Amino acid sequence: MNSNIDVQPVVVDEPGTLETTVTDRPWIVLVWNDPINLMSYVTFVFQKLFGYSLEKATELMLDVHHKGRAVVSSGPRERAEFDVYRLHEHGLWATMQKDSSS
Amino acid sequence: MIGRERGPIRVGRDGTYQLCIDTEDRRSLLRLLGELRDSLLDDSELTNTSTDKFRRLFPTAYHDDPESDIEYQRLMKGELMASRLDSLSVAQSALVRSPDDETLIMTPHELDVFTRSINNLRLVLGTMLDVQESDDFIDASDDEIDDPARLHFHLYSYLGWLLDWAVTVQTGALQAD
Repeated sequence: MNSNIDVQPVVVDEPGTLETTVTDRPWIVLVWNDPINLMSYVTFVFQKLFGYSLEKATELMLDVHHKGRAVVSSGPRERAEFDVYRLHEHGLWATMQKDSSS
Repeated sequence: MIGRERGPIRVGRDGTYQLCIDTEDRRSLLRLLGELRDSLLDDSELTNTSTDKFRRLFPTAYHDDPESDIEYQRLMKGELMASRLDSLSVAQSALVRSPDDETLIMTPHELDVFTRSINNLRLVLGTMLDVQESDDFIDASDDEIDDPARLHFHLYSYLGWLLDWAVTVQTGALQAD
């Protein structure tokens, strides 16, 4: 090991003990009802993009159909944007927003 | 149109799919996909807000945040457009293969983008027709299609039938994986 290194003291800014860590709320991806997309197609897209079972995908599709919208995924903003893009690519009307429930 | 009762898309033993529609229907689909592609490439059509027939192809991403949506569209709209055009190209290329054969072999990727392209056509046509939930039953018998409006609904219905079969065979493949 080299012992000839000239070591100088440095001042390090440490976080104050009173600081709190603010955790970003996760983002949610919503799919909205529309009169054009087939129910079977919406169910298929949920299975294909998110790996949901037929039962889970059907449940979400029915939520979209009957309640007007459903949350299909959640996570960091970048992930939500990626999911929205893929849903748009498949012709579904998807939007994203911060999760107000957390 | 033939083959409705048997299903127009079948699963092959080697993982491919067989599209079994008559050559006239295939030519019609090819023409429609080409018209959609030309329209997407025509800036004046895309910016024509009076018709707004493409709004379902480029929906908002931020429901209550216009500023974020403008930024999202600035970053992603070009990529979404490129994806749609690429899908249309692949679907068109598949449809012109062996033009005189009523059975067309498609790879899983070709059927995937064909499905999305058919859905894109339905989204545009359904928007132009202002389709509502209560219009699900609409179907025109062949003796009514001289009426242009009925012809469009007939086409919309036909695309829905084809799309539903495409979903059926691909759902089966998903569950088999």
